[in-house]
Amino acid sequence: MRLRRKTALAAPPLPPLLCRWDLDKTYLRSEFDTVRQLIRTARERGEDKVEVPGVAELMKALWSAAARRGQPISSYFISASPPQIGKAIREKLALDGVPYDGIVFKNQLRHIARGRFRLLREHIGFKLVELFRGRTAAPAGTRELLFGDDWEADPITYSLYADVVAGCLAPAQLLAIVQQLGVDDALVPELSELATRSLGVDGVERIFINLERRTPPARFRLFGPRLVPTFNYFQTAIVLAADGWLEAEDVARVAAALVDRSGYTAHRLDNSLADLLRRQLVTGEVARRLSRPLRDVGLLPPEPRSWRSWLDRVRARLRPAPTLAPQTGPLDYQTIVARLRPETVATKQKEVSA
Amino acid sequence: MPTIAVDAAGSAEGIEAIVRGVAEVSVQTGIDCLLVGDQQRLQALLEQIPYNPEQIAIEHSPHDANRDGGRRSAGLFQRQGSPSAVCKIVAEGRAGAAVTTAPPAACLRAAARHFRPLPGVEAPALAEVFPRRAELPGQDTLALLVDAGASARCTARDLVRFAAMGRAYARRVSKVASPRIGLLNMAYDEQAGGEPVAEAHRLLAAVPGWEFVGNITGADLVTGRADVVVCEGLLGAVAISLLDGVTARLADLARAAAEPTLLWRMGLRFVGQGMTALEALIDYRRYGGAPILGYEQLLLVCRRRSDATAMANAIKVAAKLVRDHVAADVRDAVNTVGR
Repeated sequence: MRLRRKTALAAPPLPPLLCRWDLDKTYLRSEFDTVRQLIRTARERGEDKVEVPGVAELMKALWSAAARRGQPISSYFISASPPQIGKAIREKLALDGVPYDGIVFKNQLRHIARGRFRLLREHIGFKLVELFRGRTAAPAGTRELLFGDDWEADPITYSLYADVVAGCLAPAQLLAIVQQLGVDDALVPELSELATRSLGVDGVERIFINLERRTPPARFRLFGPRLVPTFNYFQTAIVLAADGWLEAEDVARVAAALVDRSGYTAHRLDNSLADLLRRQLVTGEVARRLSRPLRDVGLLPPEPRSWRSWLDRVRARLRPAPTLAPQTGPLDYQTIVARLRPETVATKQKEVSA
Repeated sequence: MPTIAVDAAGSAEGIEAIVRGVAEVSVQTGIDCLLVGDQQRLQALLEQIPYNPEQIAIEHSPHDANRDGGRRSAGLFQRQGSPSAVCKIVAEGRAGAAVTTAPPAACLRAAARHFRPLPGVEAPALAEVFPRRAELPGQDTLALLVDAGASARCTARDLVRFAAMGRAYARRVSKVASPRIGLLNMAYDEQAGGEPVAEAHRLLAAVPGWEFVGNITGADLVTGRADVVVCEGLLGAVAISLLDGVTARLADLARAAAEPTLLWRMGLRFVGQGMTALEALIDYRRYGGAPILGYEQLLLVCRRRSDATAMANAIKVAAKLVRDHVAADVRDAVNTVGR
């Protein structure tokens, strides 16, 4: 006689989630376009610093959603700012009640001491090393979410890292690209070693780019569907929820923070959602599922009940749903580098022809 | 901040100019825009330029006059054209005002179909601003002409209402406390121009509290004699297009005049910066659009050749009109002069 098993088999533990954040322009609204702004930023205290609307709530939401799923989560900041501002940053993060595991700063004094002032503004090498270093320390099977902005080179840095980790970009290819991008030569051996160790471990799920500068989203098409440019953290939350990292209540939490603290209106959030739909970053079905609870509590305007909107909904259902295709194969880095650093490509071409 | 419905079809510069104008407004101001047009095309264009999606909504409407080179039949345009779509949105209260580059005739039909006329107004008017010389202290460098082509022929009472509407509009937009009103005519004589115009002269002169300067001629248009110029639509349309044509060709005319002599050509080079400043002063793109007055709602009609700057300015003007409750002011002004 077969006995029925009394308890169901325990679900396999979820792989850990690792979130890595850029700091300036992604978390903080830092202004350093001029020397005066740079000095002011350096002298700011924790309470003077201003975060990008909704970011703190999004970080908290990621943690609570992971806790509900029983998934281990860790968050790290990788910042190209000097460690001297670390105290103010930690104060700010404590004020915001943001959970995080560590912050890595760039040792700018080392470059000043060596008289290599060009490297003060070169962050790709530094960030890549830190990304790989963090990855090698993470448990096997870790899933990753990367958050950056459109001010510097976050899209290419994160994409290079993700492609190596996915195993579709060899360390030798990576080194050739980063040398074209003018990274610090002193970092190359370490980068090579770390990239070799991380090759093919896989796990970068999405790269989110906060369009702080309002860079046209079409410019990011070269980076493939893995990279999602978003105009605000409500959009980021919606895409994260569509991917299953957040739930509707977490999206509502981010939306409420934007409305209560940053002057957003239900109408503007609705426009943001519609923009995501038009850019085919979420499907109509997902948008409806996620927006329903928000409409119920007034965070989004009520759905119009005219025959026209009904017809629109029917049309949307009949339309083939956009396929959020996974990233396959490495990106066309030659084109990306040519757009990012046209001068280096021109020099290289001259060298080749000579 | 008000929402402005923007018709994304009809511009001679193409849909790109309209999208660029809307995107510019979304990044630079707090104005919300509702773009009405082919959603897929609009989104594809938006994604190529900096924009703020929080302030832009898109309502899908398949009508696009550019697709058939503007040769869409008048009947079809009248029934389901793009100005009609934006007017409907305003009438439904989903936007405070609408902006379009569609031909004025189509705009007038759309406004008549969807908007509520002001009590007592039998003929709507197109209020067009034009550059002129400010001669008196506090005068604006722009004057207003009502009507610029909405009602070809009108009665004396219509002309008085045009003056009332134009005066209310100018008080808000040009911030002139008591605008000087002039009646565009062929001569200064009170009886000139036929019975309706002569009657309008008598009625305008009798309105208490108005600064009516009497008849003005074409030569006075670009002087500071009147801040609000009142005339029949036919005359107004001719006057405005004449001014437009001359100002658009000003630089060409100066170059042609200087052509025969080297010294003149050199002189023209020296005043190059001045010419640029003059061109900027008379540039139609600065003024935005011309509102159709006579309805509870507002529709701004832009020139067909409007580019991104002109569209952006038109949207800003529309938002200002909504914010300043100009439609209510115009209604009160019409009530004052009675039926």
